Amino acid sequence: MKEQRGNEVEGGPHRGVHWFAIILAGMTLVLLIAGALVTTKDAGDSVPDWPLSFGRWLIDSDYFVANVRYEYSHRFIAGVVGVTTFAFSVYACLSDRRRWFRRLAIILFVGVVAQALIGGVRVLFPTYKPFIAVPHALVAQSFFSAIIAMAVFTSKGWWERREVRPDVASPSLRRLSVVTVGAVLVQLVLGAGFRHQAFGIIPHILGAVAVTALVVWTALTVFRHHGADAFLKRPALLALTLLVAQVGLGIASYLARLASHDDPQPVEPLITLTALHLIVGAFTLATLVVLTLRSYRALAADPERARRAAEGPADSLRSPRGATV
Amino acid sequence: MKRFSTLCLIVALATFMVAGCDRYNKNKNGGPEADAGGAGKAAYSSKGDEGTVMGVVKFDGTPPTPKRIDMGADANCASVGGSTMTDDTVVTDGKLENVFVYVKGGPVDNFSFEPPSDAVTIDQQGCRYHPRVVGLQTGQTIRFTNSDPTTHNVHPTPKNNSEWNQSQSPNQGPIERKFNRAETLIPVKCNVHPWMKANVGVLGHPYFAVSGKDGSYSIKNLPPGSYTLVAWHETLGEKTQNITVGAKESKTQDFNYGANQAFVPTSLKVEAALILP
Repeated sequence: MKEQRGNEVEGGPHRGVHWFAIILAGMTLVLLIAGALVTTKDAGDSVPDWPLSFGRWLIDSDYFVANVRYEYSHRFIAGVVGVTTFAFSVYACLSDRRRWFRRLAIILFVGVVAQALIGGVRVLFPTYKPFIAVPHALVAQSFFSAIIAMAVFTSKGWWERREVRPDVASPSLRRLSVVTVGAVLVQLVLGAGFRHQAFGIIPHILGAVAVTALVVWTALTVFRHHGADAFLKRPALLALTLLVAQVGLGIASYLARLASHDDPQPVEPLITLTALHLIVGAFTLATLVVLTLRSYRALAADPERARRAAEGPADSLRSPRGATV
Repeated sequence: MKRFSTLCLIVALATFMVAGCDRYNKNKNGGPEADAGGAGKAAYSSKGDEGTVMGVVKFDGTPPTPKRIDMGADANCASVGGSTMTDDTVVTDGKLENVFVYVKGGPVDNFSFEPPSDAVTIDQQGCRYHPRVVGLQTGQTIRFTNSDPTTHNVHPTPKNNSEWNQSQSPNQGPIERKFNRAETLIPVKCNVHPWMKANVGVLGHPYFAVSGKDGSYSIKNLPPGSYTLVAWHETLGEKTQNITVGAKESKTQDFNYGANQAFVPTSLKVEAALILP
């Protein structure tokens, strides 16, 4: 357990919480894939009741056929992730004295409960499918990014002493990365809206153009002003790579959708491409969240304050804005 | 800047919700055919001068090749037997099956028509709907039966009527429901077996028919007057003809579909640029 003295935190990375967060992120990834398959296969309504499935918690093998396999597996994995998140939240609260960190752990658990309820409402009210399924997708991806953020906050790199440098770019990297994360979230809504037939494809294409511009701008800002700092350069490079893959997967997914318009059911490569598009999207969002967090960790608006913050062992553990890390 | 980006996000989400709710309310309020069952209209009584419209729905060119349905995900489907090929476009000797033909406008709009007491039945057999296209009147019962040794779910996705979704196990009795608003046509699907699709035409009057294997249809006892005759096919779209039916006249009106119907993705249509129809 970290020692707390006043508002200061003495300690370092917490291996246990860190690895627990990584494992939970991996489980969430599996859940995201399961959810993507449910949508692509149009399996969401194959089990019309909720929270039970055909009136039971555990269904007979007779029921476990065709699309029910996808919907029921999604529910089962979601249950496992929910229980694991509860355990993680308790462990994180008991292991870390940072108040905001513990709050984040609790928010994470509340988020997973809310997500389950949204999923249930989606099943029970099929009429409102697009308007419930889209928030469901938004919360799912946000949850993944949040758990990645928890892993970052407990990582060794986060706790390393580092010189806090001025954020010299204009607009500042910190603000630019926040806007980029916001744009990706909006794009996620547009993509999910298209998948669930609330929108046409055009808003999603326009969103892709905007997100591409912002990600490139953010990455170039990092390369130009902080190119020597691997702490920032690595996530920027990764975000750029993921963006290229994501745009390619998006185009391929749409072409596959057009090519299979008269198929009696979803077929390959549509299924794999759309699942990959969703997963790479989740990684892109998470990478940009990491870049944003790191930019706030490593940079400050006021160079003098940044210099003072860099002085002394106690201050080195403070973020540029004075909050404990 | 942070406040601005938060504001942008909230505005985007609010726009999405408002657009969505607007679309939903439009659907719930019903289109021009809503409540065509005839609330407030005089009940129709026969004058003995009704006519008939009949004809054949033809298909020119090479029909699309049926695709094989992979039913391997549920062994119970194949065990029943029957075709495993798609049947959305069935052409026999140049005649098109499963075209829903109905009249729109004209004298029938001024009357209400008592729905028949007998139900229209769709059976699920071999993980297919039989028949694939049916018509019924508002307030008439539609019955879904399950002859398969597997569980289905019956899920109509109407725009003007209430959507519902109900599972039906092998030994379960029929599901009986009604649609209270006119709607052409309501897609019905099984989410367990995604290839299962049917279409239900709901009208406020009894003047409709579905073309048979020989492409023929017949609408009888039609009050004399001028109408729009509509032919609707699941994949080939809609065609209309203006007709006038005289007293006791028997009118012939054929429809011609072709193989060169261009596919335009719904997602790319102009009206779907922002919100899908």
